Amino acid sequence: GNKQVSGVSSQGCQGGCQTCSVYNGCLTCKPKLFIHLERDGMRQIGVCLASCPNGFYGTRSPDRNDCIKCGSECDSCFNRNFCLRCRAGSYLHKGKCMESCPDGLVPSDTKKECV
Amino acid sequence: HGSPGAAVPVKQCPSACQCEEDGILLLVDCSEQGLSSVPTDLSPLTSYLDLSMNNISEIQPNAFRNLHFLSELRLSGNHLRHIPGPMLQGLYNLKVLMLQNNQLERLPSEDPWELPNLLSLRLDANLIMEVPARTLSGMRSLRHLWLDDNALTEIPVSALNDLSSLQAMTLALNRITLIPDYAFRNLSNLVVLHLHNNMIRTLGQNCFEGLHSLETLELNFNDLQEFPVAIRTLAKLQELGFHNNNIKAIPERAFVGNPLLQTIHFYENPIQFVGRSAFQFLPKLHTLSLNGATEIREFPDLKGTTSLQVLTLTRAGLTSLPYDLCHLLPKLKVLELSHNVIEELPSFYHCTSLQEIGLQHNLIKQIEMNTFQQLGSLRSLDLSWNSINSIHPDAFFSLQSLIKLDLTGNRLSNLPMTGLTSLTHLKLKGNMALSRSFGLEDFPNIRVIEMPYAYQCCVFGGCSSYRSASQWEEQMGSEEEDFQKKSPSLFPIHTDNNYDLDLEEFQLAIEESKLQTSIQCTPIPGPFKPCDNLFD
Repeated sequence: GNKQVSGVSSQGCQGGCQTCSVYNGCLTCKPKLFIHLERDGMRQIGVCLASCPNGFYGTRSPDRNDCIKCGSECDSCFNRNFCLRCRAGSYLHKGKCMESCPDGLVPSDTKKECV
Repeated sequence: HGSPGAAVPVKQCPSACQCEEDGILLLVDCSEQGLSSVPTDLSPLTSYLDLSMNNISEIQPNAFRNLHFLSELRLSGNHLRHIPGPMLQGLYNLKVLMLQNNQLERLPSEDPWELPNLLSLRLDANLIMEVPARTLSGMRSLRHLWLDDNALTEIPVSALNDLSSLQAMTLALNRITLIPDYAFRNLSNLVVLHLHNNMIRTLGQNCFEGLHSLETLELNFNDLQEFPVAIRTLAKLQELGFHNNNIKAIPERAFVGNPLLQTIHFYENPIQFVGRSAFQFLPKLHTLSLNGATEIREFPDLKGTTSLQVLTLTRAGLTSLPYDLCHLLPKLKVLELSHNVIEELPSFYHCTSLQEIGLQHNLIKQIEMNTFQQLGSLRSLDLSWNSINSIHPDAFFSLQSLIKLDLTGNRLSNLPMTGLTSLTHLKLKGNMALSRSFGLEDFPNIRVIEMPYAYQCCVFGGCSSYRSASQWEEQMGSEEEDFQKKSPSLFPIHTDNNYDLDLEEFQLAIEESKLQTSIQCTPIPGPFKPCDNLFD
């Protein structure tokens, strides 16, 4: 049911929410969705997503799926140490963002990679 | 909606979607619109199409036939059960395909998806039980593959053989029980491999052969019975995790093939035996945590492992420490050796970066002058529950950063005061022969203090006039309760691997800001614990 525990309810929750609260949005998500905490001023609002937003990657475990921040130089990543797309100014090579490419490779601005 | 295949104005945006121009191309977002099918009036200049979180259970044939510029297609969070090969025909420029959070049970085998430029394929959070041999044969450029949170019972060895460009893959959260020899034979470019949360019990001796570029391997939360010796071929490995398994021993020279290892997480294993040479020649390793390996009698031989910053070796049978410990480990910041049977200490003189020492629950009797000399960064020293009966007068002389000292449960009759002025936390409870009185000037920064006797607290509690017990208890009781609720454990010695100095400082700052005004001294004097020193 949607027992009210200090404002927590499962009724009227948005999208993929399992439980939510008026103040903090989603508290838990439906199975297999990732919970992502967005900042809204001083508040943190939980949202449930099938894929984490840019700058975050998803970690799955039996009881919870979270969006975790990528490394600072990374626009999109597979995990904390493996980047999929780099921020402007650096080039991707085997999951790493580099300002200059290893020997034998040259930076491609269109692909943002060492090629 | 027009009929499929009918000419569509170049830049038209389907009604339920939002579009944005990207040069001559179009970014189309139709997510969370309650759609039950793919819009038929998609512009041929669509380069990004997001159909995620809708109710699409089937894709009409030719739905994407004209989208030759499509680079990213998101179909995650729908109800798709099966996507035959022809459905994705014509997507020659597709680089990212997201199919996670659907109900896919089977992947096409006879008529595989032809996606020659695909780089990232997300199939996680579906119901996939197997990956047929030819399924991935049309995706030779694939670099990133998510197959986690499915129902796989074995490694899709044949299917993976075609993916020599693969760099990152997760097969976590499946039902895999075995990794056969040469399972990843052609994956010479794989950098990251996640296999956590499966039921892996057996590893082939050569199961990781071919993974020449692997840097991260996660085997956490499986059922491994033995140390994964197959890792010996992973010369580039930097991060290894096999915590939460059932491994009882770490053999001699366990990581001889992995000189680049920086982190090894293996807590939550019933490890009893550790070969003395197990952790040799790991020059980049910065954290080593061994808890409860009761068969360890001797300190490990850490030759060539010179960058350790956190060493935790608790609940074992250590009787002594190497005299040249600090020559071997000059970068040590945290040394946690509680619950052993250490009797004598070497000099930690060269461990100048040491910030935290935990030696509680050992058999130490004496502290020499040079034991803790020159440890200018030492902040926390826990010597509680030993048999210390003497401390050299200058033992703490150079410890200008020391703020926490725990000598609970020893045999002290005196305490050298030199060097203790920066203390904020001091614990002396249980030293029943330590009856002298102290003064506020001895500890100008003290916040929390535990004394052997109540009268020793009077000078800190400001008890100039006698207060009735109830009044006293009431006032101190509420403060003590308040203190217990808020404060973390006074000596938060970290025994797991992700020790974080900033977090502890942050907690300490919170506590200090609240405790600015009062000094918490126990035991609290009262009617049966008077303020006068009964020994005078």
